[in-house]
Order: sequence, then structure tokens, then C-alpha cells
Amino acid sequence: MKPAISIRNLLLTQGDFNLAIAKLDLLPHRIYALTGANGAGKSTLLKTIALLTLPQKGTISFPRTKATSLSQQRQIVTLVEQTPYLLSGSVYDNLAFGLKLRQIRGQEQQKRIDHALARVGLDGFKFRKASELSGGEIQRVALARALVLTPQILLLDEPTSNIDSASLEAFEALLGSLPDDGMTVLFSTHDLTQPERLGGEILLIEKGRLIN
Amino acid sequence: MGYLLDSLSTALGMIGHFNQEVLTAVGTSLYTSLVATLFSTIIGVPFGAYIGLKKFSGRRAILTLLNTLMALPTVVIGLVLFGLFSRQGPLGPLGLLFTPWAMIAGQTVLATPIIANFVLAAVNGSDQRIMNTALTLGASHFQAGVQLLKEIRFGVMAAVIAGFGRVIGEVGVAMMLGGNIRGVTRTMTTAIALETSKGEFAFGLSLGIVLLSVALIVNLFLNILQQR
Repeated sequence: MKPAISIRNLLLTQGDFNLAIAKLDLLPHRIYALTGANGAGKSTLLKTIALLTLPQKGTISFPRTKATSLSQQRQIVTLVEQTPYLLSGSVYDNLAFGLKLRQIRGQEQQKRIDHALARVGLDGFKFRKASELSGGEIQRVALARALVLTPQILLLDEPTSNIDSASLEAFEALLGSLPDDGMTVLFSTHDLTQPERLGGEILLIEKGRLIN
Repeated sequence: MGYLLDSLSTALGMIGHFNQEVLTAVGTSLYTSLVATLFSTIIGVPFGAYIGLKKFSGRRAILTLLNTLMALPTVVIGLVLFGLFSRQGPLGPLGLLFTPWAMIAGQTVLATPIIANFVLAAVNGSDQRIMNTALTLGASHFQAGVQLLKEIRFGVMAAVIAGFGRVIGEVGVAMMLGGNIRGVTRTMTTAIALETSKGEFAFGLSLGIVLLSVALIVNLFLNILQQR
């Protein structure tokens, strides 16, 4: 089976920090949890796979797609950062941003936005101002903004860090269901029990290197 | 003191009675300054954003040049463009010298570095996640840059207002390239200089009050934007 993400001989140097991944293949429709201490390189690896940070050496490819250019590849990979930035305007504006870039408008746009907001438990938030949301709501909107695009690869940087314990179970159930929607999910977490609950495979990273 | 009060009273009367000469000078000032600000915005905003976002060799030199151009005396701009637009100059055949278009060209040169520098500062001070967010949602670098400008729109508006404030009050370019022709290129600033030297202090004062009011409104806008 062709992997969804394939990394070979990757080297990224940022100051004193080196991210070095000799080989990594992530299979499609699976969920992977990236764990490691603070500063181990989790966020850097996610940003590199999201093609926001380009490595000095090595390759990152998505063998199951025909996308070759950076802008094409960025349309199949979406990253939700740990402290997401919501664009100015309403929740709707945020979710519509990526859809407009993909020429999805009108009824289809409305339908997708309503569905994505319902999935993250934010029905009725469509016309709320982004600047008036709490930390947990921002994180949910950012996830909905990614889900609405139905990316082939979804990268999540500590997606549950701002989610309260009462909502955690539903949120984890949502994350666990994403591979069934055809997504390959890679998320970072400090909670070592979370991958087990989500049925995910653990990738341990230490000082910029993956420990098998 | 009586002279000053009498002049002030006459000046206010001229403004109140919509003196034609005052109105023409105000109209020319606003027209040339607004068109020049428009051109400077079209050039300066994308240029400032590009310099702020792209890292390339020679960037530092461009930043130094931009800072130098910010402090460029208006008479020097007037002098250089006078050379270009004069009959013997390379652009002489266009016949632009002593027309509003020559003033607009000079004022565009004056305002563009200011607008570019303000936008550059706004981009440098912006949240780094904006570009990443737009890119990861599938935007091209150009689309992400446009989104960034939308997010920092108050900084961009402040840049445009600062550019306008600079050109509406300048006298060197308007005098050298416009020639202070009555009803054609006479602006508020050149009229103040000329009329006061002719002894028409009240007329100069009336234009000064209008100019001050425009500057006040511009600065009020700037303050409101900076506080947002």
C-alpha cells in the first residue's frame, strides 16, 4: 500500500536544533500520535510536513496524490496549530476562506460549513465574531476550518490542549472517526494514553529524531 | 495684536463666504494630494509588504534606501523632477512641467517611501501565524499576502493617511513643479507662501486655517486607527 506521507533523509536546521528523519512512511486512513518532551521537535516536524517550513535536505512526498507543486500539495495537507490564529471576521468567514480558494461556493459551501461546525459541537456559532471566542472555541473553530476542506492529511498540534475535560470524550471520538472519512491524521500530544484511546500508533520523537 | 485679530476675522469671513480663490486652492491641493496618495498606495503597499515578507540579498540596502527617501527634502525631489520634466529634459516633450500632473508625480515620489515604510513596519509587527494559517488552508503566497494585508488593514490605512498628510502640507514640490499658477497649480501651501509675501496676510491665514483643519482631521483619523 502506498503511504500517505513519505519522508526520506530529511534534515532541517534551525539554530542549534536539528530535525533529522532518515525514513518515515505513514499509511493512509490511519491515526498517528507524535509524542515527546517539550522542544523535541513535534511542532517543527508537523510544520515541515505541512510544507510551512522547508527542510535544507531530504524529501517529503505524498505518494497517493498527483500534486507536485508546493501550492498543490498544501491543498491536500492542513495543519491546525496549537494556538490557532482565527482570521478577522466571523466563524463563517474563517470556514469559508479555504473553500473559496477551492472555488467551493453557494449551497455546497453552506452545507459543508454547517456540517463541520456541527461535528465540532459549535452549531449556532456561524455568525459569531472570531475575536469573541474562548480558547477552547478557537481550537474547535480551527479544527472545523480544517475539516471543512476534507484534507487527505490532517496535522494537529496538541489539539486537545484547550479542550475542557467535559468535552474531551466527544472531541476524541471525533478525532478517532477522521480516518473513516478518508483522512490520515498525525497529531502531537503529551498524553500517552490518548493514542490508545484513539486507536492510534505512537511515534516518539527525541531531540529531533524519531525513536523506533 | 489688533492686526492679527483683524486678519483672523477677515480670514474666517473668507472661509465662511466660500471665497472662490480659497476654494480653488483647496480644490487643487486636495485633487493633487489625493491622486498622488492613490498612486503611492498602489506602489507603496505591495512594495512594503513584499520587502516585509521576503528575505533576499540586498534587502538591507533597500531598507536603508527607503529610510533615506523618507527624509528626502521636497525641494530635492522638485529639483530632480524639474530636470526630467523641463523642456531640455528627457521627459520634456510630454509638456508636464507646471501642470497638476507634474505635482502629482513629485508628490507620489514623496509619499511612496512613507507608505511603503509604514506597511513594512505593520507587516514586521504582524502575527506570524497569519501567513501560516492562510498557506495551510491552501492559499498561494500571493493570496496569503493579500490576506495578511486584510488582517493588518488598520496599519495599512494608517500608512495611507500618513502619506496623504505628508503631501497635503508640502510646498517644495508644488512650488517647483507646479509653478504656483493661479487657478491651475496654486495649492493651499504655495498660495500661503505667495499671498503672505505680497502682504495678503488674511488670505494666507484663511488657507492656513483650512490646511490646519485638514491636517487635524488626518491626525485624528491616524490616532483612531492606531488605537484599534
